Amino acid sequence: MDDHKLLELWKTTDQKLEACLRFNRQNAEDLTKWKVRSLLASMNPLKLFTLLMGILWVCFVDLLIINTFPYGNPFFLVSAGIQVLLTKFAIGIYLYQLILIYQVDVGEPVINTQEKLARLRSSTLWVARLLFLQLPVWTTFYITADMIKDGGAGFFLVQIPVTFAFLYLAIWLFINIKYEKRDKKWFRLLFSGREWGPVIQSMELLDQVREYRQGAPEVKE
Amino acid sequence: MERNARTFLDVVDSHKGIIYKISAAYCRNEPDRKDLVQEILLQLWLSFHKYNAQFALSTWIYRIALNVSISHLRTEYRRKRINQDLPADLLNLKDEEEPLQPESDTEFLFACIRQLKAIDRALILLYLEGKSQQEIAEIIGTTPTNVSTRVFRIKQQLKQKFSNHTK
Repeated sequence: MDDHKLLELWKTTDQKLEACLRFNRQNAEDLTKWKVRSLLASMNPLKLFTLLMGILWVCFVDLLIINTFPYGNPFFLVSAGIQVLLTKFAIGIYLYQLILIYQVDVGEPVINTQEKLARLRSSTLWVARLLFLQLPVWTTFYITADMIKDGGAGFFLVQIPVTFAFLYLAIWLFINIKYEKRDKKWFRLLFSGREWGPVIQSMELLDQVREYRQGAPEVKE
Repeated sequence: MERNARTFLDVVDSHKGIIYKISAAYCRNEPDRKDLVQEILLQLWLSFHKYNAQFALSTWIYRIALNVSISHLRTEYRRKRINQDLPADLLNLKDEEEPLQPESDTEFLFACIRQLKAIDRALILLYLEGKSQQEIAEIIGTTPTNVSTRVFRIKQQLKQKFSNHTK
C-alpha cells in the first residue's frame, strides 16, 4: 500500500462521516451551562477525605508534641517529630501537585501539556517515598526509659533487629522507588492498585515525550 | 469571534468529524468513545474563552481533543465519576449507520492506529487529516524535521500491517 492509498482510505471515512454524523445540539447546550469547577469540587471525595484526615493528623501530633515537650519521653518526641515532618512534606507535595494539575492548559501543544501532566502525576512517587521513610519511627515511638532499663536482653534482641530491619527497608525503598525501577516485579506489586495505574502510565508516557524531545530515532530502510 | 454558547455550538458542529475520528482512534468501544467525546466537548467549552485567535480554530480543537484523548487513557475512572451528570449522546450516527464497519479496511486502519503509542497516534492522525509538517509540529509541539522522520516510520509500520493483513 502506498501513501496515496492510505490517504484515500482515510478520506472514505470522511465521506461516510459527512453523510451520517449528527451533532446533538440540544444535549450540547446542557454542556455549555457547565461552569469551571473549583479545585475542591473537582476532587475525588475519598482523596479529599484522606487529605483532610492527613491534615488533622498532623495538627493532632503537633499539638501532642508541643504539649508534652517539657516532660515527654524523648523517644516519642523524636519519633513523632520525624513522622509528622515527613507527613507534612508529603501533604505539601500532594497539594502542590493537585493545584498544578488543575491549572494545566489543554490548549497548549500536545507534548508540552502531556509532559507537564505526566511529570506531575509521576511525582506522586515522591509522596510514597516520604511515607515509606517514616517506617522505622513506628518501631521506636513507644520505647521508654523503663523498657530500656528493665527490658533485659530479650527486649534488645527483638527491638534492635526490628528497628534496623525497618530502617533498612525504609532507606532501600526511598532510594529504589523511582521511575527507572518501574519494570521490577516488587515495584509493580507495590504500585498495582487502581490509584497507581495512572501514575505508572504517566511514567511510560514520559518515555515517549523524551523520545520526541530528543528527536526521532534513525529510520532503517 | 464572540465567545458565547451559540458560537461554540457552531464551531463544534463544523468540526464534529475531527472530534469523532480522534475519539475513535483512542477508544475502541462505543460507550468509551461517547464518554471521550463528552470529555473533549466539555474541555473545549471550558477553554473556549482562552482560545488564541493567532492559531487556526482547527489547531486549537486538535490540541485539546488530542490532549484530552491521551490523558483519557490514564484517567478513565476519575473522568467517569466527574461527568456522570452530563449528557452522553452528543455525536450520533444517523440511522445508527456505523461508518467503521468491523471488517472494513477503514476499521482495520483504526485498529492499527490504536496499537500505536499515544503520541505517535496523534501524529499519524494529523498526517492522515492532510495537515502540513509545520501544522503538525505546531499542534504536537515538536520540529517539522522530527515530524517528517516519525511519520515516515509510522507509515512503514502501518503499511507492513496492511500487507500482512491482505496476505
